[in-house]
Amino acid sequence: MARGFKRRDGRYAAKLDAVERGLVVGLMEQVLELVAPETLSASVAEGGDEFDRIVAGLGGIGQGVSLSADDQVPDLSGDVPAPRDPALDRLLPTANRQDEQMAAEFRRLTEDGLRSRKAANLSTAIAALSAPAGGKDDKVSLDQEQALAVLISLTDVRLVLGERLGLKHDDDVELLEEQASSLPDDDPAVYALAVYDFLTWLQETLAHALRP
Amino acid sequence: MSIAPTEQETVSPDEVTEADTPWITLVWNDPVNLMSYVTFVFQSYFGYPKSKAEKLMMDVHVKGRAVVSNGSREQMETDTEALQGYGLWATFQKDD
Repeated sequence: MARGFKRRDGRYAAKLDAVERGLVVGLMEQVLELVAPETLSASVAEGGDEFDRIVAGLGGIGQGVSLSADDQVPDLSGDVPAPRDPALDRLLPTANRQDEQMAAEFRRLTEDGLRSRKAANLSTAIAALSAPAGGKDDKVSLDQEQALAVLISLTDVRLVLGERLGLKHDDDVELLEEQASSLPDDDPAVYALAVYDFLTWLQETLAHALRP
Repeated sequence: MSIAPTEQETVSPDEVTEADTPWITLVWNDPVNLMSYVTFVFQSYFGYPKSKAEKLMMDVHVKGRAVVSNGSREQMETDTEALQGYGLWATFQKDD
């Protein structure tokens, strides 16, 4: 049973078992692949395909929660150029709603930097949460810098997952939960919602622990 | 904004100073970001006191958006970039 983050002696401690860690880290790796700047993204993606295949083969951790855009929309055949992934628009939203030219200029000047910063946070969070090899220890202990990286990375993962779940309004989670209550437990939507709720809870405990 | 439980406190009326500078940074409501997290970001990035950070967070939640800073265009672009780095839905524009 997971235990949320608490501040203890200047560190941030939680209990997450191997499955829970694997789930969080796996989702962070998928978001890293999505946000990493183009050059980095190419090299990450090569390994990413293999990673996805392995996870798909396991059928356990991460099952039913693919954040990959390819898995979200039906494959369009033909020469239609791929539209920008809507999850990316949520992570890097249009920064000026009144002036398209200004928004485009802002994107040109800031996108690479923002992608790099998000990628660095995610990498720090992934390293901090990855279980030591063969370890059975469920304890997670983060220093201030790691805790901040995990907090921000959980936001990015929840934003992408929220986009995939179609969350647009504040009460959409409750509506989805109502709909999910009439679905069988092994329905992917039920699982994805449970994962989203777990991440929400985990982030809430960390945000509280980090309060100045 | 997500309605995860958070402490509610009565806060004093808005203490945002009147802007005589023509640019603003806005944060828009979204269903994912936690109230506690948004407050945390306003406190840690802007260094706002807790009462002001919570007031702005509630404005975002209830009114759908809030002006979180004002100043030169360059400064607003810097704030917008930083807040987007935190995953908030931030934009900048001319104050009109």
